[in-house]
Amino acid sequence: MVNTRARYFFARNTYLFSLLLLAILLSVNYSLQDNLFELRILNNSMRTLLPLIVLAVGQSVVIIGGGIDLSVGTMVSMLVAVLVKLIDAESSSTDIVLAVLAACGVGALAGTLNGVMVAVLRLQPIVTTYATSFIFSGVALVLLPRPGGQIPTELRRFYAGTPNGIPLAFYVIGILILVWMLLRSTRYAQFLFATGSNDKAAYTTGVPVKIIRLTTYIWAGVFAGLAASALTFSTGSGQANIGDNMTLDSIVAVVLGGTRLSGGKGGIAGAIIGVMILRVIRNVIFFADVPTWSQTLVNALIIIAALAGPGLVGLIRRVVNK
Amino acid sequence: MNASSDRILRVRRTLNPPLIALLLAVVLFFAGGLVKPNFVNLDQATNIVRLAAFLGIIAAGQTLVIISGGEGIDLSVGAVVTLGAMLTFRFTDGDNNLIPLGLLLACGSGLLIGLLNGLGVSLLRIPPLVMTLGMTGVVQGTVLVVTQGEMLGATPRLMAKWIASPLVLGIPGVIFIWLALGVAMWLVLNRTTYGKYLFAIGTNRTAARLSGVRVQFIVVATYMLSGLLAGFGGFILLGFSQTVFLQLGNSYLFPSIAAVVVGGTLLSGGMGSYWGTMSGALVLTLIDSLLRAMELDEAYQLIIVGIILLALISIYGRQTSLRQ
Amino acid sequence: MALTLFANHIVKRYGGVIAVRDGSLSITSGEVVTLVGANGSGKSTLSKVITGVAAPNEGQLLLDGKEVHFASPQAAKKLGITAVYQELSLVPDMTVAENIWLSHEPLRAGLGVRGGEIRRRTRDLLALFEGTVSPRLQPDTFVNTLPPDERQIVEILKAISNQPRLVIFDEATASLDSAQVDRLFDLIGEWKRDGMAIVLITHRMEEIFRVADRVTVMRNGQTVGTVDIGATSEGEIVQMMIEGASSPGDIRMTPVEVSAPVRLEVSGLHAGRVRGVDLTLRDGELLGLGGLQGQGQTDLLLALFGALPYTGTVTLAGRRIRFRHPRDAMRSEVAFVPGDRGSEGLMLSRSILENFLLPSWRRFGLIHDVQAARGAASSAAEDLSLVYSTLDAPASSLSGGNAQKVVIGKWLLREPKLLLLNDPTKGVDVGAKGEFYALLKQLTQQGTAILFYSSDDDELLGLCNRVLVLQDGLVRDELSGDRLTRSNLVAASLGTGHGKH
Repeated sequence: MVNTRARYFFARNTYLFSLLLLAILLSVNYSLQDNLFELRILNNSMRTLLPLIVLAVGQSVVIIGGGIDLSVGTMVSMLVAVLVKLIDAESSSTDIVLAVLAACGVGALAGTLNGVMVAVLRLQPIVTTYATSFIFSGVALVLLPRPGGQIPTELRRFYAGTPNGIPLAFYVIGILILVWMLLRSTRYAQFLFATGSNDKAAYTTGVPVKIIRLTTYIWAGVFAGLAASALTFSTGSGQANIGDNMTLDSIVAVVLGGTRLSGGKGGIAGAIIGVMILRVIRNVIFFADVPTWSQTLVNALIIIAALAGPGLVGLIRRVVNK
Repeated sequence: MNASSDRILRVRRTLNPPLIALLLAVVLFFAGGLVKPNFVNLDQATNIVRLAAFLGIIAAGQTLVIISGGEGIDLSVGAVVTLGAMLTFRFTDGDNNLIPLGLLLACGSGLLIGLLNGLGVSLLRIPPLVMTLGMTGVVQGTVLVVTQGEMLGATPRLMAKWIASPLVLGIPGVIFIWLALGVAMWLVLNRTTYGKYLFAIGTNRTAARLSGVRVQFIVVATYMLSGLLAGFGGFILLGFSQTVFLQLGNSYLFPSIAAVVVGGTLLSGGMGSYWGTMSGALVLTLIDSLLRAMELDEAYQLIIVGIILLALISIYGRQTSLRQ
Repeated sequence: MALTLFANHIVKRYGGVIAVRDGSLSITSGEVVTLVGANGSGKSTLSKVITGVAAPNEGQLLLDGKEVHFASPQAAKKLGITAVYQELSLVPDMTVAENIWLSHEPLRAGLGVRGGEIRRRTRDLLALFEGTVSPRLQPDTFVNTLPPDERQIVEILKAISNQPRLVIFDEATASLDSAQVDRLFDLIGEWKRDGMAIVLITHRMEEIFRVADRVTVMRNGQTVGTVDIGATSEGEIVQMMIEGASSPGDIRMTPVEVSAPVRLEVSGLHAGRVRGVDLTLRDGELLGLGGLQGQGQTDLLLALFGALPYTGTVTLAGRRIRFRHPRDAMRSEVAFVPGDRGSEGLMLSRSILENFLLPSWRRFGLIHDVQAARGAASSAAEDLSLVYSTLDAPASSLSGGNAQKVVIGKWLLREPKLLLLNDPTKGVDVGAKGEFYALLKQLTQQGTAILFYSSDDDELLGLCNRVLVLQDGLVRDELSGDRLTRSNLVAASLGTGHGKH
């Protein structure tokens, strides 16, 4: 009975290992950089991290549902272009809300394209979303041939704000986790996890697998819209390839956070922690005075070590049991 | 196996994907003549095959890894190509006598990267996608450590001559190298025990193990081969580019996967061929050349490439239906 | 709510292959109909049509007099029609409770899933099988940690949880042990009295007579007849299913002389569920392994094949050995035929040729001699009288019995001296079974030592001269000569016989 409980707890909270890792890395970071937790510094880090956090949350939903989306980065580029088109220095707050909704709407459309291709036409997700990423890049370039754009100063100030002494990003993260926890107790979540874990069994049981798959890609599109908004508010302008590099980071973050890449297991908390881990590793390298030309290598080695962590535990267990 | 996957197998047998890709390449080539009258000529054909050869060589290892199944994919090939080119560039420093050394370094480093990929995937059970992505960072980091940001060195003249310039009958050496590789790959996949084991682990790892196949060993060997071939690809690519920069190999990474898929190899493993990949490389190169020839805006080029890729994938990239 | 269902002249084609050419079945509430037929006769396909998993090409389904077309399993489920599938439909990463209630979770205000309610109701359902399952089986247990029999029980409870009007059990008893089967049949009796309509697909003759009201027989995709249970006999049903079948009783092995050399000697073997097994096997002997499902038989065979780590001593032809990988076992002329053809024995999408030769490629040279390889495979196919189109056809094109021949054939090519068989006739039709028994006889005559686990008591009684009955990882009893009887076999399985330990 106790065993069942413990098993249940660990299987449901897949982010525990990554949380431990984050704690260790943060304490190393803190020992090297004692102003790490000062409000200004913390807010700066969180503000620049938020776009990737939001994007990785969308990616988690796709991955949990058994897919993968290689187009989210270019989608962000495209949606930043949309936002930059719709917002200028004089935009009212209504305009901005409408622009964000428009970005999420276009994102949802782009996600629907991916979703229809993968879920309805049953194309392989890796190559399909790779192909659509070209289309999104192209649209981004059409919309925004030259870097540019402006946003109202108040908006930038709002995004950089710390209501009640807490960085805005933490409110967003809090809302995301709250929504996820509510979602987790719905039938939709049961369907999502069942689809990702064993689509055949789910289908036979009456789960609308196609629709669930389709919705995961739409979610990814909507979250790309939110990520693009955060990115635009943070940088104040846009360029047509601004998000392209976020795709692979979003996947690495999801996996670092303990979500299984083949689907059916994980959650969004892991993705959020994963993004933070990626950032803290970079911080540590910077403050540990690693020579400039070695930073990329050290960074990659630490990421691999972090990815290998759970596998190493499994390997040791296998060897010992033999 | 349920009947709908049976049906897909049957479709794959009648509509041979590599053959479709090859036919498509020919059609595209002549379609190029419609867009631009001087597109269709022997020089142009040779040039396209030459360009396709680089992609084809780099995609060879990718083909093996994807056939091996278990979500196998190698995202480190781009970085390894750069590494191979950089090592050759730096350590031959333009000296023709040191070409063998360059080849050895390029292939050896690729083999080592592949070994690490293989161990991570098989022993530590890291998903191939993120393992090889992580190794991309390691390889790029290594390049930065070695070069300290300065790409010193030179390309031996003989390499440029043998690889990229016309060698016999106006055909550049890289095409002969590619053909030889094609024959070798065919033999490896269809006439060796390794090839049979590769398809076996790509289809059903439990059945393979219970038939005496050392699955982990084959997986590691496959990633090593992929690394080796990518390193070799970098060596060859240097003969063409004659210069090295950090992003040199990156532009070949996703095209190498696309070439494999367009050539009819199943991303889920266990089914595929290298001559399919060769056809796929030709198709992708042709599309690229064609769009360039049309002198379209980059933005519209990207959109068209995306749509064509989607169309190609939907011809035979479909997975089995859940409803029977 | 009562129900009457007629499936009339159903036709289902997969590409060019006809799975059902003329399938008919009728059933009403409060009735148990067994659907029998050789493998590949179309029973499963017909039931998939009824439950909406497969769409029929022709024919009609009449539910309470009205024609229905199910667009999906969901549609059938809404009308109270569901099935317990042979290929399990459980989601491995979800708990027992989540699996049972998947897609009909009790909801709170139309949105939230009521977790507590689900657990409570699951406990009630699990209580139905209390005493026949391990205490580990709880609502929050993950399905991927359960053994096959308990998964099957979860599958059954899942079908029942929706209070269906019609349930099809597609070989649901195949992986259950006899206590579980007994309990299931008690429950089926209750459900029937409650007015449920039940279709039972089974290969076990004994089960047909235990619960059925009527028997519908299929042959070659066609319904050949329906008979009332009171008006028929075992012989008549078998006759309807297939002509000229051989039952294992026809092929008695000649006892092996005690002077034949010992091939395998095992002592104190621990591996997985095996907790200390000793055994001796001589050349030309067919030694049976019996007992309830999951008592360590499979783990014992896997360990001997090097596929499962073990402790203890194993001596093969007088030599102490320690296999670390199936490859080591292969090299010592040991072969293993796994229990699950699809997932352990075959590469379904690869050709028959490649399946035959997978363990043997090395002998065809560094660059394979294709002619020789093809010759070896086709002579193996001929020896086994395999029914196939070409050697290049995918293994998935073979019927169950023929597929199993390929699994065995790939080892016969290597001429093993010790053959380990893990329930090889599970899901194989009567005709193919007969051929298989003849093959075993031929192999023992050639001196091959065979260790044979079967979940079918008739096979052990009919084929073996000596049977080890395993219970809870130990040899509970060794039966041979006069003591090898059905009652002793059952008694030892349940641990009531006088054991050796």
